[in-house]
Amino acid sequence: METLLNPSKTPKLFVPKTHLFKSSLLHSTFNPQPHTLFSRRLLSITITCKVKTSQGRKNDGKNVSKKILLPDSAPELSNEEVKAKPKSGGGAWGLFRKLPKIVLAVLSNLPLAIGEMFSVAALMALGTAIDQGEAPEFYFQKYPEENPVLGFFTWRWVLTLGLDHMFSSPIFLGTLILLGTSLMACTYTTQIPLVKVARRWSFLQSADAIRKQEFSDTLPRASVKDLGVVLMGAGYEVFLKGPSLYAFKGLAGRFAPIGVHLAMLLIMAGGTLSATGSFRGSVTVPQGLNFVMGDVLGPTGFLSTPTEAFNTEVHVNRFYMDYYDSGEVSQFHTDLSLFDLNGKEVMRKTLSVNDPLRYGGITIYQTDWSFSALQVLKDDEGPFNLAMAPMKVNGDKKLFGTFLPVGDTDSPNIKGISMLARDLQSIFLYDQQGKFTGVRRPNSKLPIEIDGTKLVIVDAIGSSGLDLKTDPGVATVYAGFGALMLTTCISYLSHAQIWALQDGTTVIVGGKTNRAKAEFPDEMNCLLDRVPEIVESSISKQPGSIGG
Amino acid sequence: MIFSTLEHILTHISFSVVSIVITIHFLTLFLLVDEVVGLYDSSEKGMIVTFFCITGLLVTRWIYSGHFPLSDLYESLIFLSWGFSLIHMVYYFKKRKNDLSAITAPSVIFTQGFATSGLLTKMHQSAILAPALQSQWLMMHVSMMVLGYAALLCGSLLSVALLVITFRKAIKIIGKNNNLLNQSFSFGEIQYMNERSNVLLNTYFLSSKNFYRYQLTQQLDRWSYRIISLGFIFLTIGILSGAVWANEAWGSYWNWDPKETWAFITWTVFAIYLHTRTNKNLEGVNSALVASMGFLIIWICYFGVNLLGIGLHSYGSFTLTSN
Repeated sequence: METLLNPSKTPKLFVPKTHLFKSSLLHSTFNPQPHTLFSRRLLSITITCKVKTSQGRKNDGKNVSKKILLPDSAPELSNEEVKAKPKSGGGAWGLFRKLPKIVLAVLSNLPLAIGEMFSVAALMALGTAIDQGEAPEFYFQKYPEENPVLGFFTWRWVLTLGLDHMFSSPIFLGTLILLGTSLMACTYTTQIPLVKVARRWSFLQSADAIRKQEFSDTLPRASVKDLGVVLMGAGYEVFLKGPSLYAFKGLAGRFAPIGVHLAMLLIMAGGTLSATGSFRGSVTVPQGLNFVMGDVLGPTGFLSTPTEAFNTEVHVNRFYMDYYDSGEVSQFHTDLSLFDLNGKEVMRKTLSVNDPLRYGGITIYQTDWSFSALQVLKDDEGPFNLAMAPMKVNGDKKLFGTFLPVGDTDSPNIKGISMLARDLQSIFLYDQQGKFTGVRRPNSKLPIEIDGTKLVIVDAIGSSGLDLKTDPGVATVYAGFGALMLTTCISYLSHAQIWALQDGTTVIVGGKTNRAKAEFPDEMNCLLDRVPEIVESSISKQPGSIGG
Repeated sequence: MIFSTLEHILTHISFSVVSIVITIHFLTLFLLVDEVVGLYDSSEKGMIVTFFCITGLLVTRWIYSGHFPLSDLYESLIFLSWGFSLIHMVYYFKKRKNDLSAITAPSVIFTQGFATSGLLTKMHQSAILAPALQSQWLMMHVSMMVLGYAALLCGSLLSVALLVITFRKAIKIIGKNNNLLNQSFSFGEIQYMNERSNVLLNTYFLSSKNFYRYQLTQQLDRWSYRIISLGFIFLTIGILSGAVWANEAWGSYWNWDPKETWAFITWTVFAIYLHTRTNKNLEGVNSALVASMGFLIIWICYFGVNLLGIGLHSYGSFTLTSN
């Protein structure tokens, strides 16, 4: 039980202690609420001295008395691990209790995370370099043992490590899972505590501390209140107490990386759901025929469960293409009707590439096409349906052909008319000698005479290549996408903090920012130029005079 | 007809203006200070002219072809050079005087030069749009990707410049004529950055050379971080909108298509870069190394995959085999 509780307590280990901030500071907490600088600034600020309390209060009862230094960025977790070991030396039980913490510490280690990202990138690159999803013979040929690539890489590597199906291989998925756990561990142990630090704002009371900031400047004959007004005008949240000023901007930029990590986890979870709970299938249906969705769809993982909609029957009413003037295909369309078990039409839609049909969680995509048959009239007889066969002539270009025997069909070497087509638009005809005779369009009713045979091409019947799928993970993944886009954009914001101290008639200003380090000094100089110079030296002693 | 003439004119204007800008940059290296200021202003004006010319070029193509001008490699290259000039403009208006033009101007001229060079002449005629590309997502996905490439290339070039400056000492020891070495190392712009720092250092601050070198590298480091962060946003949006589009057109939001995979690799590498920035020990040279690796990977992603013409993203592939 104790070990189970441990993780939830861990973040408290990183509650910053005051030695973080330079020794002489007063450390204060603040209830975030909409805030106007001049009316309520003294009332709404509650100062809690945390010099001694933070450790005692947060860790009450827990056996944790380790000293954890929190640097500006990630805590040095490796140190903690080293320290944890001698303590747990007492017994196996102690070690066991420490285990989750050690694991967390190791996982949230930045160099490890960077290493994991590098390996994911390298594996992906390897996955594109090695041809995926081929038969083993292909790899025997391409990576032979006699002549290894780079001196060691043979087909044994490919097949044992599963590099022939990289993106579903255990080695790749394992690295991804490791990265996912690192992501979680890092969010948990490093980023969330960082938020607590960032939310806790503090005044700096010594001029030296302010001068030590990345940017610092001294304004002679100025008032810290004027500075406050200028900063507020520039979108800063400003807090004033006596001679001290604290202002910040872009706090969201500090929090957004957590959102980025959570969004990544959401996408990973959705991806897992997609991989384990989907159905997929593809089918090529000639125009005018039917199929049942459930026959086409096959499960991809153990979570895949069929639904009611799987019984739906799909009828291809029509398949056709649009063409540009130049003759190239501009779009494919399939007119589909869906019928339920009772034979009632529940949906009808013409889908095309980029415009899929969605019904009951099933999506039908237009992905491919084929030439099913050619309807011809031979010497005004018919029509005959000639089946078209796909031909592989040059590369992967679509080419279909059929053959109409002419004359004596019983003789051993039949001669006839060959017909070739690249699309449903034009049919190329060749005579018995294989010589090109002409082009005819279906529906043109224009006869062509070849070797004494009169042919009319009545119609070209295409078949529609459809992909079907159900994917329960899409909603989660899309939520993750949305969150990732948003948080990545917010992450661009730079969290800027400014401290100032009135020292007589001069104001000492210091500030730092976490991202926009290049622009920050210019921006600050610009703002400080706008702070009015005070002629009367006594003005800083009249607090109400400027606020107005 | 009028469109193609207009296109020609705009291409030539922008190309010559960038050439002049680069010449001015080189001149400022060798001339005196008071003349430099005026020339610098005129070179900035030149970049603005270039920006508007390329914008006009893209708009012309858009009207002429009737679809968003990002359907093939030529158009995407022009768009890339537009992206470079856009980045230049954005940071120019944010901060009046910047050193970015040392990176952006040569980048504009290189991409444009490549796009208009003989290699791609066949692709100048705006082609028809393949069925899968006929979607509103084309605009969002491709423009975001190319803008992302432009920003990331810019940022990683700054990192490369940082590396060159940091390791210049070592190079100097190897051979006196380091100019040649630098030039072969990575185009002309790095050499230019070098020269610039060289002049600055030699003329004014001979005594405190190292301090100003440190300042320059720090500036480069910060700017490259800023621009890469911006590019990372574009890349993220581009990849995600591409995934949503793929779910509409191909039936899955992720297909492990080579181009997709390489875009993801690019994304990962720049995510690594951003993570190295969170650690003080890894900042500077280490992160610059990651960024310069990213520079190569972007080119693989942008060109390499198309060169092979594999996968579903074969729209932009070179037409060397067929036709």
